[in-house]
Amino acid sequence: MYNIKVQRLLNMLDKAYTGPIMPMKEWDTKVIPKTIKGILKKYGLTGTLDLENPINCDDDLADTFFKAGWELALELGMYCEDTERVIKITEDELLETIRDYQAYNILGEGQDQVIMKPRRPEDPYAPLVASSLGIVCSEENYIPLVQGIVKYPKLVDVLHGPTLATVFGRTIRSGTPYETLMGNYESQLKKEALWRAGRPGMACTGVAGASTEYGHLGGAPAVAGRGNVTMSLCPVELKCTFSNFHRIIQGLNYGHKLRVGAFSYIGGYAGPPEGAALACVANDLLIPTVLQSDYTSSYVYDIQLFGNCGRKAVWANSVSIQAISRNTAFMRNKIVNETAGPCTEMFMYEAAVGLMNHCVSGASKTTQPRSAGGRYTDYITPVECWWSGDVFKSCAGMTRKQANEIAKKILPKYEEKLHAPDKGLPIKECFDLQAQRPMDNYIELFNRVRNELIDLGMPLDKAFGECYMGKVSDKRRTIVL
Amino acid sequence: MLPEEILAKLSEAVAEGDEDASLELVNEAIAAGIEPLKILNDGAGKGMDVVSEQYNNGEAFLPELVLAGDAMSRVIEVIFANMSQEEAAKSKQGVVVIGQAKGDVHDIGKNVVAALLAVNGFEVHDLGIDVEVKTFATKAQEVNADIVAVSTLLTTSLPYMSDIANYIRDTGNREKYNIIVGGGPVTPQFATDMGADGWSRNAFDCVELCKQLMARKTPGKGEIILIDSEAK
Repeated sequence: MYNIKVQRLLNMLDKAYTGPIMPMKEWDTKVIPKTIKGILKKYGLTGTLDLENPINCDDDLADTFFKAGWELALELGMYCEDTERVIKITEDELLETIRDYQAYNILGEGQDQVIMKPRRPEDPYAPLVASSLGIVCSEENYIPLVQGIVKYPKLVDVLHGPTLATVFGRTIRSGTPYETLMGNYESQLKKEALWRAGRPGMACTGVAGASTEYGHLGGAPAVAGRGNVTMSLCPVELKCTFSNFHRIIQGLNYGHKLRVGAFSYIGGYAGPPEGAALACVANDLLIPTVLQSDYTSSYVYDIQLFGNCGRKAVWANSVSIQAISRNTAFMRNKIVNETAGPCTEMFMYEAAVGLMNHCVSGASKTTQPRSAGGRYTDYITPVECWWSGDVFKSCAGMTRKQANEIAKKILPKYEEKLHAPDKGLPIKECFDLQAQRPMDNYIELFNRVRNELIDLGMPLDKAFGECYMGKVSDKRRTIVL
Repeated sequence: MLPEEILAKLSEAVAEGDEDASLELVNEAIAAGIEPLKILNDGAGKGMDVVSEQYNNGEAFLPELVLAGDAMSRVIEVIFANMSQEEAAKSKQGVVVIGQAKGDVHDIGKNVVAALLAVNGFEVHDLGIDVEVKTFATKAQEVNADIVAVSTLLTTSLPYMSDIANYIRDTGNREKYNIIVGGGPVTPQFATDMGADGWSRNAFDCVELCKQLMARKTPGKGEIILIDSEAK
């Protein structure tokens, strides 16, 4: 009746009540930094950040990060905030997780079903794209926006979805009945939008607007089973809460796949980019073992830039993704956090660098986009989602060396603006929701930047051949969106 | 040790977040007859400048900042205890109650702000994560706060920021505390609409914001102060 994950999860919950007790401040300010610093030093990883080569091409370095991350995972374990105890794991438990890990994840059903597979660096197998991230959108825009996001089957495989600004006009407060109602409402709106788009079997990866377990509890029954996913995000690297466990158990109750993540912050408790990369490797080992995820959703984020498209984060993500891709078959969803908004060159450049990096480094899936850093309501359009799919899938099979050379050319086009990114335009100023197509200003910009990046060597016409959704308007590659 | 040596070592100890050494050195400085204000400005204060700059340059990180903030807080307690009341009142940067809005457990940004404020001499009371609306008001009253600072990364926790401001207003305390807000989805427009006294783009801006609010001394009255050092 219950699968092995439930038993393993219970074992980990038991450990949350019996593991070594430790004040959170000691964990945050002493244990984490000291251990990470020590392991970086032991493995000769201190100072390995290479700003001149933001996409790592050194297999030995990736493998050393893996070994160091393995040691970090075993030495530290995960901290449970609710009990202030450490959930320690044994090497046997980690090895069992690797041994028993599934070969693939099937998401969705029927014609809209897709297969997520483990990917190695430079893997030619195209990764999956889920859209969008939880960018807030007005209630009135929700269905047409989602309908637009999933318009092109080749570009977007899985629906995560934007976040509702209100539920029946009411403000949504986290942890309240409004959130529980929103969970169900969001799921129903998504189903309606998928039906309208002709993609009713597409997988949904959780309730985007659920900031606590209440939202998930409200939304999961409406999208139970059939390869849907429950998302559970930890507060920070190497830490979890009972809220994580609640969501995971809810997901298991409803037959969902489990996507669990924790972000590592450059400048945070893990320290420098090397420390954040190391913590990210440990996260990707610990989360399937402790929280029984079917795939993880952890990545490196730069606190000072409010994103991860700067050189430090690009490098840290590349080396940490490669470390796991080269040494395990764990599947991972890796997110790019753009800072610029819709209808800007900067957004397209940020997404191009970040997604190309994650693809060639071996990510199995991404969830995109974080238009305008997720700061503003209605600053998301389907075009950023399509662009994410275009880049992420087209780059499959590229070498890291090629990707690194291209990244070095694109980064100077936006990196100086990362502290003050271009806000872009709200949806109604650059996308026609009724016609389900971008406005002329966005089409012109999209094609101009896309062609510019093709000229720089990005294989953007590779994934779809000469025909981009059957709508290439000329022999060059101007797309009629 | 010469007074200059004590102050240099104190600066170093604060920057390194060595609480025990900082306490020992501040007591040594007092015993050596160095003016408390001089100890603050030329000893501990220099240490906080060092660690702030290191953090800004990516040479120090959150744990170092937190530990330096803790050391600074202990040093300040000793210094103020050795000042006259008037002098202490003049030297105090201010009392801040800070926390993550209800429903939100993503506290890393808030922790950076709390640590930077402590390093810069503010008395910081950190309520942690997922803090109830009323708790902000209760704590502010208990510690006689100057500033109530609320952070969130979640849009679904934004309404609680307004709730905090409304609760403080409706209990007749709005003119006692400056209310400031920040975090990923918190825009200047939102801060203005909810009636905050201040908003800042990042943690460093928040220190400047708090200094300006302390200088203005008109909680709940003046125009909102918006600080964005990264604006074009």
